[in-house]
Amino acid sequence: MTPSILTAHRLLKSYDRAPAPALDEVSIQVAAGESVAIMGPSGSGKTTLLHALAGIVPVDAGQVTFHGPTGAVEVSSLSESRRSALRRDHFGFVFQQGLLIPELTAVENVSLPLLLAGYRRQDAESRAASWLDALGLAGMGGRRIGELSGGQAQRVAIARAQVTGASIVFADEPTGALDSATSVEVLDALLGSTVGQGRTLVVVTHDEDVAARCARIVRLRDGRIRDDSAPRGAAATGGPRFAGAGWSADEDGSL
Amino acid sequence: MTATTPAPSVPDIPARLHRGRPRIAAIAWRLSRPGGQSAAAVVLPVVAFAITTALLLTVLGGTMMFVRTGLGDPDLAVYPILAGFAVALLVVPLVSLGGSAARLSARRRDDRLATLRLIGATPAQVARITVLEATAFALAGALVGAVLYLAATPAVGLVRFFGEPIGAGSLWVGLGPLGLVVAGVVLVAAASAALGLRSVVISPLGVRTKASAPRMHWLRAVVAVAVVAVVVVGMQNLTLFGQFGGMLMMVAAMLVAFAVVLAVLGLLGPWLIGVVARAQLRRARTASALIAARTVLESPKALWRQVGGVAMACFVAVVAGSGLALAGVAGGEMEAELVEDMHTGVWITLVMSFLMVACSVGVNQAAQILDRRDLYVGLDRLGTPRSVMEAARVRGIVGPLLTVVVSAVIAGGLLVLPLLGIAIVVAPATILTLLLVFAVGVGLVVAGLVASRPVLSAVLAAPERV
Ligand SMILES: Nc1ncnc2c1ncn2[C@@H]1O[C@H](COP(=O)(O)OP(=O)(O)O)[C@@H](O)[C@H]1O
Ligand SMILES: [Mg+2]
Repeated sequence: MTPSILTAHRLLKSYDRAPAPALDEVSIQVAAGESVAIMGPSGSGKTTLLHALAGIVPVDAGQVTFHGPTGAVEVSSLSESRRSALRRDHFGFVFQQGLLIPELTAVENVSLPLLLAGYRRQDAESRAASWLDALGLAGMGGRRIGELSGGQAQRVAIARAQVTGASIVFADEPTGALDSATSVEVLDALLGSTVGQGRTLVVVTHDEDVAARCARIVRLRDGRIRDDSAPRGAAATGGPRFAGAGWSADEDGSL
Repeated sequence: MTATTPAPSVPDIPARLHRGRPRIAAIAWRLSRPGGQSAAAVVLPVVAFAITTALLLTVLGGTMMFVRTGLGDPDLAVYPILAGFAVALLVVPLVSLGGSAARLSARRRDDRLATLRLIGATPAQVARITVLEATAFALAGALVGAVLYLAATPAVGLVRFFGEPIGAGSLWVGLGPLGLVVAGVVLVAAASAALGLRSVVISPLGVRTKASAPRMHWLRAVVAVAVVAVVVVGMQNLTLFGQFGGMLMMVAAMLVAFAVVLAVLGLLGPWLIGVVARAQLRRARTASALIAARTVLESPKALWRQVGGVAMACFVAVVAGSGLALAGVAGGEMEAELVEDMHTGVWITLVMSFLMVACSVGVNQAAQILDRRDLYVGLDRLGTPRSVMEAARVRGIVGPLLTVVVSAVIAGGLLVLPLLGIAIVVAPATILTLLLVFAVGVGLVVAGLVASRPVLSAVLAAPERV
């Protein structure tokens, strides 16, 4: 069996004014290199689970453990600033709206995590540019976010999530604001650049087509896991196979 | 992206709109109820209007005092003229502060109003809600400001003119003018809310969809520098004017030179801010420097509106400061008391204009954080350290501010180059004081920035689901 990269044990989370807990004894293990879709009706706790796993919100009880390159870290017991550093260094995020900085160009947005990690600007930008190339945005690096389509902006967000070599990418409805053709493109990019590279993807989605391409679907209702299984039909392929050259961005050796 | 997230309290409004005639006042009330963290959205414009009103009343009180004194004693007739000059210098920052307050009270509503439009409220309804709200904010703020003004008079009364503290009583404007100022602030706020509304009414979708940053033409700079050069050369040969047209001609030439340089500063300011930011963009090594430079480049004009208010005061302070330093040393010709009072006047005008800019920066920054709440929350989720966000904010303001201050000081210095040179040698204390006041002014603006920090903390502490 593949080792887990992330384990959650009996997570409990209640919000102040909410009648029922948003997470009610949720346990889950995510294997390295796996793609997990989290599904469920609106308000079932998908976003809360994703945020708890990623150390964005603290939980009331239970543990989240990240088995990172430097050993196991108990995310749920870290201080706010340590969790922030963990997210910066090891996790990547793609939200429904990319939450890119509109004043910055595409390349600058993607290079931001590298600058935060202490890379020189030139190196950061050339690495960011090769990620943009790999995601089909060659030549668009100098554009500002407002000059990109929704799907292009979302691919910029994917590049930003990957650029530091994050071991896990968390995505919350990454295709939620896109039409179906564009959704497919963005999902291809997301899967190809994560599980296609041996990385792990946890994606919250409403879209059965999106979920069907993941190796595993976790279904939530009322803050509890109702079902956890492989999608019906074929075993997930981990997305399209990319031409080798496209994905070499981070094996470049130049950094 | 930031413009499209509906506020959580909005969804139950359509039901009301469908049910026959909605009561506008009721909707306005629902939209303005301070819900948790958005309390700041209501408090901020009120605070901004309060500060504007308090400063306006204080300046008015001081001016009226000088006018009274000047009319009472022909020997002191120069005071009202100088006070009028100071007021003229303060008008720009004061208007820009008032403008921020007005924009803030309207803009904070853009998202919600855009949502209202999308769900079918008529433009007229939207207009009435906004204007109603802005008027209410302005009225509350102006009343608080009047109280602030009264509370501050004992402290302001300690300032020394005519050889003694002026006293709290001499700053009292009278009940009539007080009422007029309050009414004026409210009126201007309502009018600017009505004007600022058009963009929302015309396009219900996304107010911030601008794709490209504006650039300004370099020709502007060339023309401006040429004009300044002509003025500087003219100033160096001021005595020529004196020989041809006598004293009057000389004074007129000086006034024209002043006006021209001030106009040039206004023309050049946004361009210079952009040039410096572009240089900083190229040199940026850190995330915060990069974000700051790009933010400034997004709208150098908006930044000029925020910080440009100190340009004129800085310029005049250098010119007047040098002149006064020499007058103080030379003695005799001008009364020592007048020279001292003029010094005080220069410092006060300078500090006041920095104070106004500081308030306007604080208010604008707070508004910006609220406007871009989901972006800040998103950056926080990615693991962006708070310190980086703060540093980007500080750099984004202090950069343009220093650009403005330094270039105004240089322009002023060039204008009176020989005078300034002599002043540095014979009256270094005055020049040092001047530099100190500049430092205090910049410090005030940074304090305005720091004051908006809790808003960011509140946004990050209670992130709504984005
Ligand atoms: N910040 C919050 N404050 C209060 N309640 C919240 C907050 N975030 C989520 N909730 C509540 O927790 C439950 C789960 O929400 P969420 O995880 O966002 O669900 P999903 O992403 O599946 O739609 C819902 O009932 C929601 O109303
Ligand atoms: Mg959700």
